[in-house]
Amino acid sequence: MTERASLEPGAVSPEGAGSPLLSVENLSVSYAATRAVRDVSFQLHDGEFVGLLGESGSGKTTLGNALLRLLPPPGRISEGRVMWWGSARTGEAREGPEPHRAGRDLTTIGQEDLRRLRWREMSTVFQSSMNSLNPVLTIETQFRDVIEEHTAMRGAPARQRIGQLLEMVMLDPSYMRFYPHELSGGMKQRVALALALALRPRFVLLDEPTTGLDVIVQRSILDNVRALQREQGFAVLLISHDLGTVMEVSDRVMVMYAGKIVEDQRASTMIAEPMHPYTRGLLGAYADPRAREVEIAYIPGRPPDLSRPGQRGCLFAPRCQEAIDVCRAEEPVLSAMGQGEAACHVAEAAYAAGDGRRDQSARAGEVFTAPAGRTDRGPRVERRQEVLAVAGVHKRYRSRRGLKVTEVDAVQDVSFVLRAGTVTALVGQSGSGKTTLARMVTGVERPDTGSVTFGELRVDRLRGRGLKAYRRHVQLVFQDPFAALNPAHTIGYTLSRPLINHQDVTGAALRPAIEELLERVGLSPASTYIEKYPHQLSGGQQQRVVVARALAPDPEIIVADEPISMLDVSIRAEILELLDTLVRERGIAMLYITHDLLSARVLADEVLVLHNGKLVESGATLEVIRGARDAYTRQLLDAIPNPFATRRG
Amino acid sequence: MRYFVSRVMFFVLTLWAAVTLNFIIPRLQPGDPAQTMVQRLAGQSEAIDPAAIRAVQIMLGLPTGSIFEQYVDYLQAVVRGDFGISYTYFPYTVTHMIAEALPWTIVLVGVTHVLGFVIGTLLGAAAAWKRNGKFDTVVSLGSTFIGTLPFFWIALILIYVLAFTLRWFPEAGGYSGEIDPAWSWAFFGDAIYHGILPALSLLITAPIGWIMGMRNNMVHTLGEDYTRLALAKGLRQRRVALTYSARVAILPNVTGFALGLGTILGGTVMVEMIFGYPGMGKLMFDAISNRDYPLMQTIFLFTTIGVLLANLCADILYGVLDPRVRREAQT
Repeated sequence: MTERASLEPGAVSPEGAGSPLLSVENLSVSYAATRAVRDVSFQLHDGEFVGLLGESGSGKTTLGNALLRLLPPPGRISEGRVMWWGSARTGEAREGPEPHRAGRDLTTIGQEDLRRLRWREMSTVFQSSMNSLNPVLTIETQFRDVIEEHTAMRGAPARQRIGQLLEMVMLDPSYMRFYPHELSGGMKQRVALALALALRPRFVLLDEPTTGLDVIVQRSILDNVRALQREQGFAVLLISHDLGTVMEVSDRVMVMYAGKIVEDQRASTMIAEPMHPYTRGLLGAYADPRAREVEIAYIPGRPPDLSRPGQRGCLFAPRCQEAIDVCRAEEPVLSAMGQGEAACHVAEAAYAAGDGRRDQSARAGEVFTAPAGRTDRGPRVERRQEVLAVAGVHKRYRSRRGLKVTEVDAVQDVSFVLRAGTVTALVGQSGSGKTTLARMVTGVERPDTGSVTFGELRVDRLRGRGLKAYRRHVQLVFQDPFAALNPAHTIGYTLSRPLINHQDVTGAALRPAIEELLERVGLSPASTYIEKYPHQLSGGQQQRVVVARALAPDPEIIVADEPISMLDVSIRAEILELLDTLVRERGIAMLYITHDLLSARVLADEVLVLHNGKLVESGATLEVIRGARDAYTRQLLDAIPNPFATRRG
Repeated sequence: MRYFVSRVMFFVLTLWAAVTLNFIIPRLQPGDPAQTMVQRLAGQSEAIDPAAIRAVQIMLGLPTGSIFEQYVDYLQAVVRGDFGISYTYFPYTVTHMIAEALPWTIVLVGVTHVLGFVIGTLLGAAAAWKRNGKFDTVVSLGSTFIGTLPFFWIALILIYVLAFTLRWFPEAGGYSGEIDPAWSWAFFGDAIYHGILPALSLLITAPIGWIMGMRNNMVHTLGEDYTRLALAKGLRQRRVALTYSARVAILPNVTGFALGLGTILGGTVMVEMIFGYPGMGKLMFDAISNRDYPLMQTIFLFTTIGVLLANLCADILYGVLDPRVRREAQT
């Protein structure tokens, strides 16, 4: 736990004295009719580590792009300024001309001036889309071109510097000869980080730098960033949707909703005393999976459509539990209150009246609770009916290239049982064999040895017609709901297919059956959804449709592959609650595949931890998570960013 | 390195297959070429003298012996470059005829192919870099418009305006009758003068595909994170455009270009016919209309070899330009 302690923010005083490094003044950005960023102002000081937290569509990435003046067309800055105060850093000689002492407006300075400022003064690490390195250039070239552009360093010293930079992010210097595709995702992101620090910039913008990486890799990169930041003293703006990460590593956190910053305060005080109801909601959606009791909440509703003109009042009001009349009439402005700033009428009134405490608990919104014991859910797990048994399965993949054959043991000697009305979570990082196991359960993949038995049926021996018939009993819920729905068909059509194919529902009976499905997954009134196309629904609604489709053939088993990882934090609990209800009420056996231990803790009765194709730990959820015996399981648990635990410690 | 070796081995294998097919297919055809030839010389109604057929067979050097011996002879002949005697241009050998026609085609089609690719790629890249600007609009709309025009129509308009009405260029032919085809400056000048119109008509349409391809690819790579990162790095615009955006965008075009090289050997039948140009296209047309089997067969063999060589070229070029391909072959 020493590593965790080193991450404790506050060891370095974030409030650098004097003038700010960067100040954003009334910045607005629009894409055609959509006002993605609305009247945002904030300051960033030298050496400060600031988090920008927001969900998809909140405008956080647009804001980041606007700061660097990298908005993709048709995005443009419609109002406001971004002032860069590049006062010389104390005690450090910089090469080249002295940076400008006077503030410069980044939104208006000439291309050539901007170009000289870029990377020397401010650099960035993009979303880990694995695409921010040029695929046809070696790593070295990509360092070299920026070093040669901005400094006088050439040849061997430049190479040496690149080597140092790579070592700084814990990569061997020999990797500089490699091309990006020869590195793993985590390594690429380390390279991107080293690249960002190549010229010792004053300010680094990190846009979702670890999204999509495995938790353990994510943890180590963030530790690395934080350590380097302390050492070199650059300022960071960390853009992320991941509350745990942002809260844990940032000194100060800004929360963005619908294009506006709605709250801005120190991370340590925000945890204890969130002011804006949205922040409270987000915090409520997060919990420590190791706690005795875990409650996670969600915020009902969906973010506003910023392309619609004439919206009045606070844009969060429709989803807000605490909204009062003035919220619907007048949009609040960000103003000082409590220990920071917030844009909320309710909070403002509460602070004006006293210490700002409100009656409602911090966990505003709907609550979905996972009690310590599972006593409320029928008989003990062991007594529930066995639906599917996987016994001693092995799977080895061979890939042949010329005469060379490489073999990978994807799954080795794994056994487990799926029971009716029970959720079994399959936890592990990518490449651990989760997907292969899921494919065996659905009959897509056959194990080399071992068996998969569904009742009397040997799933691993099914072919052709038998396999098709078996599919009725096993349904899938995918990770990306939008990709899982055919964009050319209406929701009604999509849901009619499994009904026609598996249930022989036809003609007039079809529509009521579809409506029933939609109502069952909480899309009500159903008639308003039947004619809609997937793109007209929010992510959460789309995922509900995917769940409805899985329910259509009345399956015994549902395999849910990361069903909430693509969804916004504030609505994840909503889908978990839906899955939970369906499993309990309809006695479905669910295989819940995830890398997210919090959701496993909340939803699952049993947890199987998979590592390199082997089952390293399994048992009742609470026992596995609270009393992990295996080293790998503990490593997974430790990698979860956990602001709550840290603050308490 | 393994990547390149495997590509070359693949080339040798397909080449052998192509050469062998070229041997087998004519032998599957019904009829006797000697008989056909005598028939044509004598006229349809005449009875054919078997002695005449025998004479023609010997004259043409038609194969004898078992199929295996024939195959070995054939392979040896191919290596020697001996493809027999042309029926149409008797007594010239096929090799001679092809040697006459090939340089014309290689110069005309080769030069326009390369120029078309270079011009098209540059225009496409420029249009993408300044996308939605004036230049882009003109180039995109212009190439879409010209792309809809039939090629022969453009050629005919050019002949009508530049050759027939204005009399700036000759209407047809590869060189003037009064100059002897020889290695002289006068002859070269004359050949280039004759080549301008066909080249121009090829050059109007050739870049269209490259423009569209390059523009679309590059608009895509311009939106990629690595291009945006290059901008954020404060690199010069030119370097961002060339090393980051265009460098990746050009990859698919390079394949198309290299594959296109293969068709050069076959010439372009349409241009050569319209302009009466003495290249491979015209030779092939004549061979087909006269049922000149040895000539046809050899031209087909050349075309096949051309395409195979171009494929090899494309693979090697791609391997050089795209490090990702090299690795795929290794693992």
